[in-house]
Amino acid sequence: MKSLVIDDEPETARYISNGLREAGHSVTCCADGLDGLHQALNETWDLIIIDRLLPGGVDGLSIVGKLRDLGKRTPVLIVSALTSTDERVRGLRQGGDDYISKPFAFAELLARVEALLRRAEPAQSTTQLRVADLALDLRTLQVTRNATPLALQPRELRLLAYLMRHAGQVVTRTMLLEAVWDCHFDPQTNVIDVQISRLRSKVDKGFSPALIHTIRGVGYLLGERRAGAALVR
Amino acid sequence: MPGLRLTDSIAARLALGHGALLLALLLLTSAVFYFGTVGVLARSMDGKILSISNRLRAEYGRRPLEELVHEINAELTDGIDSDTEIFLVTAPGGARVVGNLSSWPTTGLPLGRLLNREVVRDGRPSSARLLVQPLSNGGLLYVGRDLSEQRAIRTLVVRALETATAVSLLLVIIGAWLSRRQIERRISGIRQTAHAIEAGNLTQRINVSGDDEFARLGVDVNRMLDRIEQLMSGVRHVSNAIAHDLRTPLGRVRARLDEALRRERTVPALADAARTAIDGIDDLMLLFNKLLQIAEAESGMRTKSFEQVDLSSIVQDIVELYDAAAEEAGVRLSVASHAPLSAQGDRDLLATAVASLIDNALKYAGRGARVELLARADVQGAAIVVRDDGPGVPAAELPRLTERFYRMDRSRHRPGNGLGLAIVAAIAKLHGGTLQLVNAEPGLHASIRLPEAKGAPPPLPGTRSAAAQTAAPAHLSNP
Repeated sequence: MKSLVIDDEPETARYISNGLREAGHSVTCCADGLDGLHQALNETWDLIIIDRLLPGGVDGLSIVGKLRDLGKRTPVLIVSALTSTDERVRGLRQGGDDYISKPFAFAELLARVEALLRRAEPAQSTTQLRVADLALDLRTLQVTRNATPLALQPRELRLLAYLMRHAGQVVTRTMLLEAVWDCHFDPQTNVIDVQISRLRSKVDKGFSPALIHTIRGVGYLLGERRAGAALVR
Repeated sequence: MPGLRLTDSIAARLALGHGALLLALLLLTSAVFYFGTVGVLARSMDGKILSISNRLRAEYGRRPLEELVHEINAELTDGIDSDTEIFLVTAPGGARVVGNLSSWPTTGLPLGRLLNREVVRDGRPSSARLLVQPLSNGGLLYVGRDLSEQRAIRTLVVRALETATAVSLLLVIIGAWLSRRQIERRISGIRQTAHAIEAGNLTQRINVSGDDEFARLGVDVNRMLDRIEQLMSGVRHVSNAIAHDLRTPLGRVRARLDEALRRERTVPALADAARTAIDGIDDLMLLFNKLLQIAEAESGMRTKSFEQVDLSSIVQDIVELYDAAAEEAGVRLSVASHAPLSAQGDRDLLATAVASLIDNALKYAGRGARVELLARADVQGAAIVVRDDGPGVPAAELPRLTERFYRMDRSRHRPGNGLGLAIVAAIAKLHGGTLQLVNAEPGLHASIRLPEAKGAPPPLPGTRSAAAQTAAPAHLSNP
C-alpha cells in the first residue's frame, strides 16, 4: 500500500507513519500544504491521510477538493483537531471519505483505513453475506448459523450485516455508532459493548467456533480468530 | 461642590450649550424688538419732519411771509405733537422771525439733510432732529422734533434687554450647575457600583429609583451584572470542578507511570501501566469533549446548521441504541408514539440529549423500572419526554441537576461526571427550548421542550392529556 500523510505536526506525522509502516504500508510524509497538494496530484496513491490545518497557504480541505475536482477517487481520511459535527460534515462534503478527530488511538485510525481500502475494492456479491457457517440473506433478511435460523431484531440485523461486510477486519465502536445507529457523537457509555454481547449471545451461543471477537481497546472483529490477532494491543 | 470646568462636565457643556442658544435667541429677539420699536419710531419721525417741511415750503414759498408765520403759530398751538414739535423761520440775516427755538445751530448745518443737533426749545436745552431748508426770500426754515422722548424709549428698551440678558446668563449658569449636580448625583451611584465591582465585590448593585433614563440604565446595568455574576460563578464552579475532576485522574495516571518506571522491569508490566495510562487519558478526553460540547452549545454557533429533523426517528434510533443496555440494567425501555414529529434542530445534538436522558434514567430508575420515551407535539411546539417510574429526585435537588458537575449525594459513587444534564439543558437552550425536570411521583419526567418548527403538524388529538400530565410547574422549569 502506498500512502501519503500530509500533516505539519511532526509528532502526529511520525505516529501515523510508523503505525502504517508496521501495518505494511509504504509511507511518504509531507509537512506543508502546497507540497502536499503537489504530491497528492502528481503521484498515484492508494491512500491519503490529511490534516485540516496546514501551513503553506493550502489547507487540507482544499487539497481534497482539488483532488476530487480532477476526478481522482483516492480514498482520503481527514485527521483533525476540529471535532465538531459541523467540521466533520464539511470535511466529508468536500470529498473526504472519513473523518477522525485528534487525539485518536492508532487502532481506530488503522481500522478506518482498512475499511476505506476495502471500500475502494470492487464490491462482492450483494445478495448474500457469508462468514464461516454464518449467512445473511440480504433479500429476505434471513440469518442462519449452521443452517439454523436466528431471530434478530432489525437493528441487530444492520449491526450484523456491517460486521459481516467488514469480516476479518477490526471495526471500532465509533464506526459502528455511525454506520448502524447513524450517531455522530460518542455516547461515552458501554452501549455498543452491550449491543455486541446481546448479538453475540444470539449468533455465537451454542455454536462453535465463536465468530464475534472483542479486540481490547479498539473494537470488534467478526471472523475466525486468526485474522485480527495482530491488532490486539 | 462641583465646579463648572467644561472639559470634565457634560452637564456644564450641555447647560452652556443651551445657554448659548438661549442667548442667541435673546439677541435675535432683542434686535427685532429694538428695530421694530425705536427704529420704526425714528423712521416715522423723519418722514413726518420731511413732509411737514416740504408742505410748508410748497404752500408758503411764494406767498407773503406773514402767512407762513401764521401757519407755524397755528401748528405750534394746535395741541397735536406741540410738546415735541420744533419750528423756526429765520430772516436772511439769521434773525428769528417765528418759532419755538431760542438757540439753534447756525453753522455746519447742510441744507436739506436730517441731522441731530443740540438746541434750546422754549427755554429748555434739548436734543433735536432737525431739517433746514432755504426759503425763497433768502431766509431758512427749520423743522424738527424733540428727541428726548425717543431717547427715553431707547434707553428703556436697551436696559430691559440688558437685564434680560443678565438674568438669562445667570439662569444658564445656575442651570448648568444644578443639572451637573443632578447628573453627578445620579451617576455617582453607578460609579460607586462600578468601583465596588472593580474592587471585586460582584454582588454590588445600583440603587434604582424613579423611571428616568438613569433608572433604566441602572436596571440594564444591574441585569448585565446579574448575568456576569452568574457566568463568573459558573466559571469559578467549573474551574474548581475541572481542577478536581482533571487533577484526580491526571494524578492517578502520573503516579501509575512513575511507579511503573521505578519498579517494573518487565515489558508486560510496563505495557500494562501504559495501557492504564491511556485509559485514564481517554477518560479525561471524554470529560474535555463534554465540556467543549456544552461550551459549543452555549455559544449558539451551531444554530446555523439547523434543519428539519424528525424527533420520532431520533428517539427511535437512540432507543434502539440503548435497548440492549436497558435489558442488561433490568429496565423496560419503550417508545410510546411513533408518529413523525418534525422540529428545527441539529440531529446529532438532539440525539446526544436524548441519549443522555436515557442514560440517566437507566442509571437512576433502578432495576425493574419502566422508562418510556415519547416525542409529541404540544401547545408550544414539540417535546421529547423521557419518563421513568423509579425513585425520582428530591424536590430540593431538582433545580440543581442541570448545573455542571453537580452530582446528587446518592449518585456520587456511581460512574459519571455530572455533565449529562448540563449538556441536555445547553442543547435545549440552543434550540430555543428548555429542559424541564419534574418529579412525577413516582419517577422523574424529563422533557426537552422545543419551540414550534415551521411546517410542523398540529398537535394530535389525544396527546393533550399527556401534555397536561407532564406540564411542569413554572418554578421548576430550568431554562
